[in-house]
Amino acid sequence: MGWTFTNPLFSLATADQNKVAQDIWEGESLGGIAENNNPLPRPIIGLLVLTFITANALTFPLYGQRPNAAIYHDYVSLMNSGMVQEQMNDHSISHNQANEKAMALIENSLAQFDSPYTFQRIQHPIDLDQLRIIAPQIVELQKAGADLEQYSVIGDKILKANFFNLQPDGTIIAKQPWWDKGYMISMFYFFGFCLAVIVTVKRLPHWSWRPDHSIAH
Amino acid sequence: MLKHLFAKEEDIPQGSAGIFFAISSICWFIIGTGLGSFNAAKLGFPDFFHGSYALQFGHMRQVHVHAVIFGWIAMAFAASMMYITPALGNTKLWSEKLGIWNCLLYNVGLCLALALLWSGITSGREYSDHIWPIDLYIAFVMVVPWSLNVWMTILNRRTQGIYTTNWFFAASMFMLIIVFLIGNMPEFLHLTGLNEAYMTWWFAHNVLGLLITPVAAAITYYIVPKVTGNPLYSHRVGHLHFWSIVVFYSTPAAHHLMSSPLPEWLKSFASVEGVLILVPAVAYVCNILLTMQGRWTMFVENIEIKFTITGVLLAIPLNMQGGFQQTRAINWYIHGTGWIVAHAHLALLGFSTFAEAAAVYYGLQVLLRRKLWSASLANFHFWMLLIGFSLYWISMTIAGLIQGAAKIYEVPYVDVVIAEHPYMIVRWLGGTMVFFGNIIWLFNMVMTARAGDPVPVGRQPAEVAYTR
Repeated sequence: MGWTFTNPLFSLATADQNKVAQDIWEGESLGGIAENNNPLPRPIIGLLVLTFITANALTFPLYGQRPNAAIYHDYVSLMNSGMVQEQMNDHSISHNQANEKAMALIENSLAQFDSPYTFQRIQHPIDLDQLRIIAPQIVELQKAGADLEQYSVIGDKILKANFFNLQPDGTIIAKQPWWDKGYMISMFYFFGFCLAVIVTVKRLPHWSWRPDHSIAH
Repeated sequence: MLKHLFAKEEDIPQGSAGIFFAISSICWFIIGTGLGSFNAAKLGFPDFFHGSYALQFGHMRQVHVHAVIFGWIAMAFAASMMYITPALGNTKLWSEKLGIWNCLLYNVGLCLALALLWSGITSGREYSDHIWPIDLYIAFVMVVPWSLNVWMTILNRRTQGIYTTNWFFAASMFMLIIVFLIGNMPEFLHLTGLNEAYMTWWFAHNVLGLLITPVAAAITYYIVPKVTGNPLYSHRVGHLHFWSIVVFYSTPAAHHLMSSPLPEWLKSFASVEGVLILVPAVAYVCNILLTMQGRWTMFVENIEIKFTITGVLLAIPLNMQGGFQQTRAINWYIHGTGWIVAHAHLALLGFSTFAEAAAVYYGLQVLLRRKLWSASLANFHFWMLLIGFSLYWISMTIAGLIQGAAKIYEVPYVDVVIAEHPYMIVRWLGGTMVFFGNIIWLFNMVMTARAGDPVPVGRQPAEVAYTR
């Protein structure tokens, strides 16, 4: 099997090999079916590149995970403050109104400070009744010195997150990594695939050659 | 069929195996969709028919799934391969006798397998539900002889080149045997836990990705150029499609288990590969639709093209949906909901069924040398299938999104059941339309065999479809 690398983007097959391939292509009827030698349309190539970028971007674990307990830690601290407690226990208004006012106080206070959890709090809003349920568990974990980012809020429970983020020293952190070797493997895999397909199609006669189907049909 | 079982190879008419597989596939399609309609009725009308152990939903679901996959889809594939593979190699089928025995033992095996599932003897793993003796029977009595016939026909071809369709046929059969034997390891070796879960979904994903999707696509690579008379748009795009199916479809099994404690890197890798399934999909759809250039009137006029192109068009939402449903961003919300059921039906009842129906319509006319008894009934079947499928797909998509919301917001289960009720009725209606359409189809094909006008030698069925 001969190869030529003088113009690899044009053809990897020698002129003789291309001539043989063209003769077979034009001279043979495969059950009455013919094939053209068109390239993939350029917009479609653009779409495929976009697909690869989208595939990586969309699969990063940024969205849609269960909320971790750390994002509600400040909520719990503020809920236990005197000002919010007073609002929560205001019996002159209904339970829901008291909740809404107390929650507004908490959110106004949180808006005054920068937080690494701002985005996640928008993703996972919480109301005061839910906060009441999970607050004692968050306080317990905090007292025990736990890293709240390693705990997920699942309904009314706070549980150790189901992540196994293996560290170089062998310890495991139960946090979702934003990047892991799965993405690295997929990149090598994809580029390996592209290389293999390019080699395969460059062994065919160049796409500028149009087969004459009148010979065999 | 029986008279050919012990006949000499040269005394068996060419195409016999294809005809028997084709008729069997239509019968199994009726059985499979009938069971599906019955199951849907149990969901739509909870008081409908209960009290019988064998007819409980848990049993019937498995029987429906396997009647459709191994009965309708796989036998329609076998029928297609039995006539397309030799046609593309300008030769005859390697062994009609083997094909006929294969068809008989396939039907016997499937009856046995479904009877065991019906009686509750099952591995309990979705899609690989059979117990190990049945797995071995399927692999070595049903699939290996079928594969052998395909491979040997290709090896004995009278052409130097191998057309795209035959690459897919040969490779898919090879991959199916591997998928079947490795994917059933939990049953053979009593694997448990994550190994069992991963292998189960590796099997389920790859039966679809390495058998059903590529073979359905391969059929359309044959039907569209053959019936329209246009050359395939691009041989080189066929290469891109073939290799990207092998590479990107074989790896994303872990995306079925995104919430499981599988290693995160495996899930990340699988998820990227899952989106990259769009690569073969885009290449394939582009190749077929561009082959239709100048022949789009056939999409309206010709029954085989109508079925085929509808299937190809359904491949677009199928792959867009599947590619993104499995990402973490969406999977957390929709996992385990009816939208996944809708997606599975989009793949099996949408894309692949339309392609297979085209192949069976075309194949029976070519092999019997008779034109369709009734083009009107074929069109009626097409619309029953399309409308019935669409009702099913849309209603289950909506139902799935309701379930997803209810799951996240922890809505009480009984409230979800009530909210789902109208969609379950529409689901039953759609499935029942498909079932009745298939009965009409069988009638039409039986009448074609008995009373269809002969197709003149040297003419295509499509050329004489509207002549009297």
